[in-house]
Amino acid sequence: MHEGARTDVGPLSRSLKVGAFYNPHLGAELVRAEGIDHLAMADPPAPNDPHWPAIKARYTLLLHDYLGQLSEPLDERSIQRARSLAEQYRTPWVAEHFQCLHTEDGRYNINYVFPPLYTEEFLRRFAANAKALQARLDQPLVMENIPGFFDVKASQMPEPEWLRRFFDATEVGFLLDLPHVWLEAHYRRQQPRAWLAEFPLERVVELHVAGVEVDEDLQGPWIAPSEPSDEMLDFMAHAVAQCPQARAVTFDAFSPSLRAEVLFRSVERIRQAL
Amino acid sequence: MSDRALQDLVLRALSDAPFRASSEWRHRALADPALLERFARFLARHFYYERIVHFFKYSRALARVTGRPPEVVLRSPTFDALLPAIVLGSRESAAAVADVAVAHVSSGRRDGIPYLGELLTYERAMMVAEAGPRVWHDDDLEGAGSKEQYAPETVEGTVLVNLAHDLPAVLPKLLESWTEVPPCPERPTTLLIARSRHGRVAVARADAAIATVVELADGRTTLVDLAREAGLRPAELEATLAGLTELGAVRFGTGS
Repeated sequence: MHEGARTDVGPLSRSLKVGAFYNPHLGAELVRAEGIDHLAMADPPAPNDPHWPAIKARYTLLLHDYLGQLSEPLDERSIQRARSLAEQYRTPWVAEHFQCLHTEDGRYNINYVFPPLYTEEFLRRFAANAKALQARLDQPLVMENIPGFFDVKASQMPEPEWLRRFFDATEVGFLLDLPHVWLEAHYRRQQPRAWLAEFPLERVVELHVAGVEVDEDLQGPWIAPSEPSDEMLDFMAHAVAQCPQARAVTFDAFSPSLRAEVLFRSVERIRQAL
Repeated sequence: MSDRALQDLVLRALSDAPFRASSEWRHRALADPALLERFARFLARHFYYERIVHFFKYSRALARVTGRPPEVVLRSPTFDALLPAIVLGSRESAAAVADVAVAHVSSGRRDGIPYLGELLTYERAMMVAEAGPRVWHDDDLEGAGSKEQYAPETVEGTVLVNLAHDLPAVLPKLLESWTEVPPCPERPTTLLIARSRHGRVAVARADAAIATVVELADGRTTLVDLAREAGLRPAELEATLAGLTELGAVRFGTGS
């Protein structure tokens, strides 16, 4: 059991829960599945999704949609959308990412998670906008770390320090994506456990675990909708032991190419490793 | 330059291959060029994978007949040859990538799919319509005001697609389970494809009056002239324009 006192993260229950993402193409299998405590929702359910009513009735649902990038304040339309989804899912917390993926004028959009520069200016922006969003939500906000494949020389501090200062300033929860930490350690040529130790683990509410695979373009490993390796599961067990407030571990795979057996086996192996 | 502006430069470098190659970017030396190039190529493949899977989903469903899943082109030399000119989100790049997918699927088996060519035309038009800058904050929207005093204008990227088959009648069936390729009625059909300011692509059937309004709305033609040319009464034109504005096909200019 992992209980903490500093962040009120709602009623998911006291034990560490193990879940996955809702992949609509696996809806029929997920309706019948055993051993999955919760489902994270990356997209709203399609209006014609035949499995959605049963999914909603059966599972604890975690709001994990794209709400907006917190380098800018969310507009009223985005806030109302977030509130509406949170109410629809009855989510115990609302997740967003430390990302800045489109330009301020909307002209360029890379359509993929990408971290902000780790600078004082971005720290002020994210802290102010996260607090403003938190004030408009009825659930706690949690924020997920995003990996960088390359360093941008304009950054002023290491990512863990930036994150620690963000969480100290906002008191929001930390959604720790472990493959993201593992990948950064890999590309920084550091030991994953040593790199992980730099992060504010006492703030962690939820952990993401997934597989990594070699990508041809990157010429190295990257996030993939595949089973976590034994090494990643060991890393997860180590991390969970350092996260006293952790409430849930989620198999982080959301892709039309994800196969049911991969999802179910991954959840089972995560549970066994904890 | 603010940190936000620097971040925008990095995002542009990742999105815009010609900019990435320019001295304007390279002189800044903000990131390792080789690593940035690798990540940009990864992003480009991811960006267009999502769009091909979404907009070409019907020809994907037909791949067991054609033998040509459209998304495989993203791992082809033809796509790689586009990479030095790719600008993520631009209409030109969307059209270039869509053309590669269309050519690939067209080269497959077409037996029993007489409407395949029109289906690909429709899917290409949807993918191209989705491209272009979008509004991320409602604060960025033009100020509200009395619209009636301004002439409507068809939004750039809005297209009318004329077909010999009634594609909307067969599209849902293609995504269901089937053993025989679902037939499509031969019936002249015009579809209007438009994109909202927030980037949502919508498609609607268009009759002759709607097509006339879309073709003539240039920001100068008056409501009276539009109504006369389209054969609509003022109230009918108002309702038509309201629907077209909702779809993102038409906007009212600022009068400047």
